[in-house]
Amino acid sequence: MNAKIKKYYQKIKSILGLSLQLAKAGFKLRNEGSYLGILWYLLNPLLMFCLLFLIFSNRLGVEIPNYPLYLLLGIIMFNFFQQATTEATKTIIHEYRLLIKSINFPRESLIGSIVLKTLFSHLFEIILFIIFLLIFKNSLIGIISYPIILLFFCFFAFGVSLILAALTVYFIDLENIWLFASRLVWLGTPIFYAIEGQTRLFYINLLNPMYYFITIARDLIIYARTPELWLISGAVGYSLLFLVIGFLIFNKLKIKFAEML
Amino acid sequence: MERVVVQNLSKKFKIGFKKRQSSLAKIISFFSGKEPKKIIWALRDISFKARAGEIIGIIGENGSGKSTLLRIIAGIYDKDEGKINVNGKIISLINLNIGLQPRLTMRDNIYLCCSLFGLSQKTIKQRFSSIVEFSELENFVNTKIYQFSEGMKQRLAFSIAIHCKSEILLLDEVFEVGDENFKIKSAEKIKEFIKKGASVLLVSHDLQMIEKYCDRAIWLDKGKIVKKGKTREVVKVYRK
Repeated sequence: MNAKIKKYYQKIKSILGLSLQLAKAGFKLRNEGSYLGILWYLLNPLLMFCLLFLIFSNRLGVEIPNYPLYLLLGIIMFNFFQQATTEATKTIIHEYRLLIKSINFPRESLIGSIVLKTLFSHLFEIILFIIFLLIFKNSLIGIISYPIILLFFCFFAFGVSLILAALTVYFIDLENIWLFASRLVWLGTPIFYAIEGQTRLFYINLLNPMYYFITIARDLIIYARTPELWLISGAVGYSLLFLVIGFLIFNKLKIKFAEML
Repeated sequence: MERVVVQNLSKKFKIGFKKRQSSLAKIISFFSGKEPKKIIWALRDISFKARAGEIIGIIGENGSGKSTLLRIIAGIYDKDEGKINVNGKIISLINLNIGLQPRLTMRDNIYLCCSLFGLSQKTIKQRFSSIVEFSELENFVNTKIYQFSEGMKQRLAFSIAIHCKSEILLLDEVFEVGDENFKIKSAEKIKEFIKKGASVLLVSHDLQMIEKYCDRAIWLDKGKIVKKGKTREVVKVYRK
């Protein structure tokens, strides 16, 4: 039993180590010759924020307290999820095709590196958000809880990415389907609006893991209140569920990757 | 000691079914029950052993299943039938593809590729200088790989693979690009390698090379072993 745990530990360690190396390389590749690299990461969420704020601040946003913070936190959290998952549908089939056919390395690290890379750019968005907290004179205390939320959020994103990456090898157009599907989830998640009082939308969102994570983060960071227990257990439950399903599917399919590519 | 034992190994590929299928096409073909049209056996009933301290040459025409065999031993492809026992760490160098990233420097590439082969940061740091030294590319450590010639890339790839210190080395057409000097140097390095108890499977079209360095050889044709045994005999029959 002990030996088995040790073996798993070694395996996870090697996956993480390789993920880190791949992420480093990927980061260097992405920012080759660009001095403004980090600014580009911020441009997307910032523009999105400006646009949505201009449109909705007098309408949907009127009834939401601290609307700018509410909106920005929603945007950057969803951005994290969307970036990681969309890249996961591309990486294996485009970037690492030849490598998968030549070397037997732990394939999970490809997905791990995507999550790490996205996490890194997410940190800058967090800094942006903290600046917003300061501007709007919100309490900074809540941000301390964010790393824990982020940990489970990473589990969730990693799990979904594993599923998507493995399935795109078999269903080649999943890449396009996901672009569309993730957009639908974006619209369905209360990012620029609130769903208080809308029963139907609320029940649909119970099936949407993103809803749990974003709501918890808003409760803790912006409104300084403890999220309800069902929200917390929902977030933890969904993240572990997707992580397990992700590993199961990926493990089952990965041996065929080299042949299918 | 036996490093690799392959017993009655078979591998089939499905031909004629479109592997890059869209979801809709896949669902339709699943329900209409259209199964793959043809199955070809890339490998059929392959058995051999590779002992520690041995170089085994694998020869045969293109498409005879040489690379497939190496990929199955490396665990990249799944086998359909038979047994494989592997004793030791495997490094596979197939068509010199070790994931060199053209837009990264040689230094970054060494770190990346060695990690892909499972080396830790610390170990890479220790072996870094000897990798560079063996490849004779000291002046290009901070140059990006896209400016390298094919020969230089081959040197680098081979140097990385040989410094990862595995017990089993799978080499697939790695000497077809390099110059004569480096070929000899590499072959000497491989010899040194097997003296320490490693074993090497070498796929090559260069029969002279096979004759010179391999103890035994296997001739594959259409996925079957035509002849195996002493290198000289196998090559002699193959030449005819």
